Amino acid sequence: MVDILHGYRQSNRIRNVTKKIILYVILSAIAIVILMPFFWMLSTALKSNADIFAWPPDFFPKPALWGNFVKAWHAMPFNIYLINSIFIVVLGMVAEITSETLVAYGFARFKFPGRDLIFFILLSTMMLPFHVTLIPTYLIWQKLGLVGQFDPLVIRAWTAWGPFYIFLLRQFLMGIPVELDEAAEIDGATPLQTFVHVILPQIKPALLAICIFAFRGYWNDFLGPVLYLNDMNKYTMTLGMYFFMGGVNEQPSWNYLMAMSIVIALPMLILFFIAQRYFIEGITFTGLKE
Amino acid sequence: MEQYIGTTERWLLTPVVLMFLALIIYFLLRKIGWKVRAATGFALISPWLIGFIIFTAFPLIYSLYLSFTNYSLFGTPKWIGLKNYIYIFTSDYEFWPSVRLTLLYAVFTVPIGVIGSLLIAMLLNNRIKGIGVFRTIYYLPAVMPDVAVALIWRWLFNSQSGLINYALSPFLKLFHIGKIDWFGDPKYVLWAFIIMSVWGIFGTNTVVFLAGLQGVPRSLYEVADLDGASPWIKFWNITIPQISPVILLQVVMGIISALQIFTVAMFVRPTTGAGIFMNQLIYNRGFTQLHMGQASAIAWVLFLIILAFTLLVFKSTPAWVHYEGEIKR
Repeated sequence: MVDILHGYRQSNRIRNVTKKIILYVILSAIAIVILMPFFWMLSTALKSNADIFAWPPDFFPKPALWGNFVKAWHAMPFNIYLINSIFIVVLGMVAEITSETLVAYGFARFKFPGRDLIFFILLSTMMLPFHVTLIPTYLIWQKLGLVGQFDPLVIRAWTAWGPFYIFLLRQFLMGIPVELDEAAEIDGATPLQTFVHVILPQIKPALLAICIFAFRGYWNDFLGPVLYLNDMNKYTMTLGMYFFMGGVNEQPSWNYLMAMSIVIALPMLILFFIAQRYFIEGITFTGLKE
Repeated sequence: MEQYIGTTERWLLTPVVLMFLALIIYFLLRKIGWKVRAATGFALISPWLIGFIIFTAFPLIYSLYLSFTNYSLFGTPKWIGLKNYIYIFTSDYEFWPSVRLTLLYAVFTVPIGVIGSLLIAMLLNNRIKGIGVFRTIYYLPAVMPDVAVALIWRWLFNSQSGLINYALSPFLKLFHIGKIDWFGDPKYVLWAFIIMSVWGIFGTNTVVFLAGLQGVPRSLYEVADLDGASPWIKFWNITIPQISPVILLQVVMGIISALQIFTVAMFVRPTTGAGIFMNQLIYNRGFTQLHMGQASAIAWVLFLIILAFTLLVFKSTPAWVHYEGEIKR
């Protein structure tokens, strides 16, 4: 009896181990597929001009030309582009997060006629393709004489233009007990004071997640800069990359292009490794509360 | 330096103006008898409302108007009735191919993306050593900027010395095909974009599904285990119904974003002959060729396509989306 039980346990353990091994093999195989492009990007970035088109391809370039990063950076005025990008990211993020938090606070904590209808309209704007409103929006900025300035990229952020983030913040706010607000109000706090001292400290995780997303949004934005910025001195990193690529029929310098792709991805990668938790939390949150 | 100063000044002035408007709105509402809290709430959301009216509602209506006009950014729009629509539907050689490419792209990538990331999430939902490392790796593509993603893949698909053609070369030799010009040949462009999207899709969707899977009560599986249910039955009768709201969200967001593919496509730049997406066509028509009327018409067609697809999905929800407890709102 004991022997049989022992044998059963052993076969069970063997089955579990096999299952685990298979799982690891599958997970690793997919991981390799995912990582391959990253590896190839780095490998190409370190190649000499002659080496890029070697056939069969060279996986480990010798010598590895780390200087390519410096050369690529100086091939175009990326110094200026970086400053422009940072300028846009900072202005956009501050305006967007401030206004969206206030708007979400209004939707979550106050009752007023038409609130639910307005919120429904806000949600449905997510379905609206950006390109439908593109031309009239361009005409508005043109009328204001601000095409060619940074304004179209950052001013609108004050009007809480990210419906998804408002939605996320509202959901988060609704999870905070109203009793806390009420207690503050009984103590004589104005809505603004309640907001700063009671609400803000509690929604920090949501705000951090939105900061990361907003950063990504402004850093990666291409349509805005390509439409509104026409002066070389005002290009952003992303727009600079577009011109760095060269014309349609030119063969780009792939080693430099890959080097710059790594550079442009670097802020996001660093942010991801520092704040992975908030990344995942933010996404999880948006995905789960429908 | 002055290019920053002007913008900064206007950027600082904007919230002041918006606050001022919010105050005016507040007092007006109080005047007509709204309670303090109601007026405060409305004042708080007023920045969004103002932005919505100026930058969404008005442009939406105005672009509909523009789609019935001939307008080149200079001069005034001239009303020409349905001519833009008739032109793009009948004699525009770029319109239908772009609709075809955009629709096919969505039709392939949305199901592949949703099913694929669900399967991956189920793999990652196992509690084994080192799973955190795998989760991080699987999320990496989602962190990459569109620009970098597009350029990496354009290089991987390069016809001369791309890694993909290299990997495929034994097969290509076998079938006596030359190196494939992925982004230059209309036959392959769609597939290249689909492969690319599958790689990019792993990240975000997988994380959302993972959270969804972790939210399924374990007790349901335990009860099923007692009844001796097979993994297959548990998958179809517990997992799928439990996470169906997440699937719905993924499908809707997937459709909206797939139909609106733009930045990646612009950086991959398939030669025009090989096909472009609708958003690229809108951009080219409007801002390169300055046919604002035609561009607006194409944009409205895209809008209606997105609307139709989304409504279709929502219409189908009672059949397959399962809400715990009551139907929400």
